[in-house]
Amino acid sequence: MQTLVRPSDTHASGSDPGLDPYHATSAAGRIEGPDKVSGRARYSADVRLPGMLWAKILRSPHAHARIHDIDTGAAAALPGVHAVLCYRNAPDIPWYDHGRLFDRTVRFAGDEVAAVAADSEATAEEALRAIRVTYEPLPCVLDMASALAPGAPAIHGTSNRAGDPAIEQRGNPRRGLREAELIIDRVYTTQVALHNALEPHGCVALWQDERLTLYASTQGVNTLRCEVADKLSIPERQVRVVTEHMGGGFGAKQVAWKHDVIAALLARESARPVHLMLDRHAENLATGNRNATRQHLRIGAKRDGTLTTITARIEIQIGAYRAGGETSSVDGIYHSLYACRNVRTEQAVVYTNTGPAVAFRAPGYVEGNFALESALDELARALNIDPIELRLRNYAETDQRRRKPYTSPDSLRRTYARVSEAFGWRRYVRSVDSGPKRRGIGFAAHDWVGGGGSPPGKVRLTLVPPGRFRLESAAQDIGTGTRTALAQVCAQALGVDIATLDIALGDSNLQLASPTSAGSATLATLAPAIHGAADQVRKRVLQAAAELLLEPAQALELRTGRVVANSGRELSLRSLCEHLGRRTITAIGKRAANRRSQSIRTCGAQCVEVEVDIETGEVRVVRVVASHDCGRIVNRHLVASQVMGGVMQGIGFALTEARVVDPRSGVVLNANLEDYKLPTVADTPVIIHAALDLADTEANVAGVKGIGEPPIIPTAAAIANAIFDAVGVRLYNTPFSVCGMLEKLSGPPHARMCDNDEPR
Amino acid sequence: MKPFDYAAPVNLDHSLRALARGRGTRALAGGTDLLALMKARVASPDVLLNVKQLRDLSRDIALDERGASLGALVTLADIELDPAIAQAFPALAQAAASAATPQLRNMATLGGTLLQRPRCWYFRSERFECWLKGGTECHARHGENQFHAVFDTGCCRAVHPSDVACALSALKAEIELRGSHGPRRLAIGEFFDPPREGRRVETVLRDDELVVAVHVPRPAPGSRSIYLKAMDRAAWAFALVSVAACLRMDEDRVAELELVLGGVATVPWPVGEALRHLVGKPLAARAIAEAARGALAGAEPLRMNAYKLPLAQALIRRALHSLAGSASEAVSLAPELHRGPP
Ligand SMILES: Cc1cc2nc3c(=O)[nH]c(=O)nc-3n(C[C@H](O)[C@H](O)[C@H](O)COP(=O)(O)OP(=O)(O)OC[C@H]3O[C@@H](n4cnc5c(N)ncnc54)[C@H](O)[C@@H]3O)c2cc1C
Ligand code: SF4
Repeated sequence: MQTLVRPSDTHASGSDPGLDPYHATSAAGRIEGPDKVSGRARYSADVRLPGMLWAKILRSPHAHARIHDIDTGAAAALPGVHAVLCYRNAPDIPWYDHGRLFDRTVRFAGDEVAAVAADSEATAEEALRAIRVTYEPLPCVLDMASALAPGAPAIHGTSNRAGDPAIEQRGNPRRGLREAELIIDRVYTTQVALHNALEPHGCVALWQDERLTLYASTQGVNTLRCEVADKLSIPERQVRVVTEHMGGGFGAKQVAWKHDVIAALLARESARPVHLMLDRHAENLATGNRNATRQHLRIGAKRDGTLTTITARIEIQIGAYRAGGETSSVDGIYHSLYACRNVRTEQAVVYTNTGPAVAFRAPGYVEGNFALESALDELARALNIDPIELRLRNYAETDQRRRKPYTSPDSLRRTYARVSEAFGWRRYVRSVDSGPKRRGIGFAAHDWVGGGGSPPGKVRLTLVPPGRFRLESAAQDIGTGTRTALAQVCAQALGVDIATLDIALGDSNLQLASPTSAGSATLATLAPAIHGAADQVRKRVLQAAAELLLEPAQALELRTGRVVANSGRELSLRSLCEHLGRRTITAIGKRAANRRSQSIRTCGAQCVEVEVDIETGEVRVVRVVASHDCGRIVNRHLVASQVMGGVMQGIGFALTEARVVDPRSGVVLNANLEDYKLPTVADTPVIIHAALDLADTEANVAGVKGIGEPPIIPTAAAIANAIFDAVGVRLYNTPFSVCGMLEKLSGPPHARMCDNDEPR
Repeated sequence: MKPFDYAAPVNLDHSLRALARGRGTRALAGGTDLLALMKARVASPDVLLNVKQLRDLSRDIALDERGASLGALVTLADIELDPAIAQAFPALAQAAASAATPQLRNMATLGGTLLQRPRCWYFRSERFECWLKGGTECHARHGENQFHAVFDTGCCRAVHPSDVACALSALKAEIELRGSHGPRRLAIGEFFDPPREGRRVETVLRDDELVVAVHVPRPAPGSRSIYLKAMDRAAWAFALVSVAACLRMDEDRVAELELVLGGVATVPWPVGEALRHLVGKPLAARAIAEAARGALAGAEPLRMNAYKLPLAQALIRRALHSLAGSASEAVSLAPELHRGPP
């Protein structure tokens, strides 16, 4: 299979290359690329400190149980064991809504029970096995249906509903229903998916006097510092979080997890640095997941396709705890993607005795989009209107939720045109249907609430001898290429070659407010701040040069390594630095607030072609064309890699990925990469990024928006719609497994060949 | 992983003696299965006996007019890439190529692939003391059994994971064993035997025996073979269901037919008996479809795996059509495949 970005596509539709400030550098390679491919890049797991110990966490084998007793005597007595922690000796730290760091009640199989630090990993593991825990198993509820059944055991308090449902309404949905000439009324379910970033969670903890350093795999060094300081009840300034390189997070690394604080406590207890990285198994039990959903959706429309109402009753499976971080808004997309006067959503959150959910790339939108965009396709078929045409007839020109105009009202429409053209939507000729393999095409659109960026976001830019610039931001590069993109923005804003720029990232000690890498916000937050810093630094460099060159500052221009006057005279930055001596030129750029009067959105569309084997139920995605509005494209390779990664993850969500929980014990059966089936390279189709590259200068001076989350959003619905096109089978439950496909393809007599009606 | 001793004997005799000495000794070949089992504490040998460097354990593929002899140390990659195997035994080459990933196929040996243990997630999880591991209960029967066996062979419902074993069964291979008491040679159908009380493993290999070679008889001229495997992703997945078939036609009539299913039982599952009536008849589409249904007679699917029945039937039809050289007509499962615009 081949995966490609058609070079001719990348700049085709948006801005004129002549006006594109990144035209020359858009294909720049990653700054850290050579370090990564040569193994020099240091990830958290690679940190080695003198005297360092290895830590492991004992986890509950039960989905719900009360701990009567823990005997750690034998474990502590093992030679090489330096610290053992459990509820008996660890500080009593509140955690989650109602829990503790080491709770006497465990609420999912995988919940933290005790931890050890030892000379070696093997000793640590042996010590874990020597800990004796007496549990009293409690009745458990593993899916939403049983959690909500009358008389179900409550996980917290008296009900498994986590608070009241969130209700949002505009207009009069009942009237909208009465006005409808056609109603689509369906129940959709989506499964629990696991993030499986290549690098697992974890950190290395080091105490020096009262100061703690965490080398952590985190999406937010500043957030983690704040949360860990809070949990340990120490001042924030005593905590430093360093994240040099990361192998992905997908949302699951945006909060402090228990292991972060456990590592710190073990290090304090043993007076040694402690290395605590999770293995794949723990990673898949206890560091978050995409919540399962059940969505009862009704959309009403006129015969001409005009939507009269959208209503959705949504239940989301949060698992045993609310882990915090970005919330999952399954309801969001119902209110914004289409122009509709009468919209109502009701989103309830349900506890179950399973690992806690946490933000996962476009949390909620992936799930909501699957339902909404499947329904739109069904509506288009019923009305005999082309699916893209139906969407255009209901195009949302303004942000109906916030009642504001969009900064780029036209971009979604443009992505429709881009994908449709690049895919050949209207020209598509279906192959003749003789053999068992049937092809079909599907379309889905999306929007996303994130990607606009927001304060706080600070960067520091300094001229350093012998004439280089140094850009500093506390923000971390989680693997997306932030380092490279920020450097490109800075070089472009200064007007110098990127090679004369150094960049430092991922260290809370830089004392610069920075965004968590979530909500597709990093670049859109920091790029404007960089422009601010660059403007100040340039001005001061030119002023200093003006004094030396005896030319007016307005007559000077900053170029790579030198300042050039209109008259032709120049001053090298090296000489400038020498003259400055100990004086430095440095400035802090701050992210200003977004305009109140406008709303920023990211959005896009995908077209997919699939091949369905009607005899074996196997589904193959043949090709995907994706177009997303992420504002100005700073680096087309980085954007394309987000698009490809998002599409692949979307294919996994649509076809093969699902956490499987044993229905009796609550044990996760596929917490590994053999049984939890991510798409492989062989499953990856041709992915064409039909880039839009439309600078959104209403949104911010840099014209940039985020691309991290959007590409995963529409993929599942587009695949479902393509499957319908291919074989006439409508799918309401993700993932579309071979088992589920065969059930659908064989119709009622074979019904219920596999139980996938309720998400697990 | 439990700590263990490591031994690297130089020849077979030394190895067999070591195996005979203690029950806690296990042969280590590619290690792709055994090490994973040890990490999961499903296997906890006291001694690992590396057989990979034995001077007299073959890693060669030899072909003559009688057939092929493959040494126990031949890797799946060797099988996959050997042109003579691909020519004489397409099903075997295809099965090897469909297994695991290129990296694993470079490590995995023929001996190991026959003796790998089931992938049942209850079996592989330390949390469950299931019947196959010496417990009293099969957790899969009432648990998550979408990947489990549809034929009932006793307490265990795990499926045999080996693609190559399935192909070798259809090719009527023989397994050559050596034990401290001497050699024996078993038909592959005898070598594999469903686990039962007193012997909770999938083969009749004794603790003091090693597989030394596999012999595949050359099929009568005109025979053709094929291996088809349904997976839930395009690579790196065990078979949901697989079919190995070997067919010889005499003019337009079936002369010989061997068909073995994978992914449906604790051992490779020959269904040749059910197809015996095809011998001597032409292979028409009707007959093929009937045979496919007949092959699954007697299946007792569990709560979540009934989909394997239509899947197996589809693969059987496809395999037979392909071998008979007749165009396979898609048998639509859906009552009517309707479609709207565009
Ligand atoms: C991720 C993954 C995916 C896989 N996918 C597939 C797949 O799709 N299809 C498939 O068929 N297989 C698959 N496999 C299984 C793989 O084929 C086996 O692990 C491999 O064949 C075992 O061979 P080995 O040489 O590594 O055996 P080892 O792991 O060394 O040994 C396995 C067992 O065989 C015994 N043994 C080895 N050699 C001998 C001998 N000569 N005599 C007696 N006993 C012996 C060992 O004692 C041990 O009990 C997969 C494995 C993994 C890890
Ligand atoms: S199917 Fe076999 S291996 Fe799996 S739980 Fe049952 S007895 Fe154990």
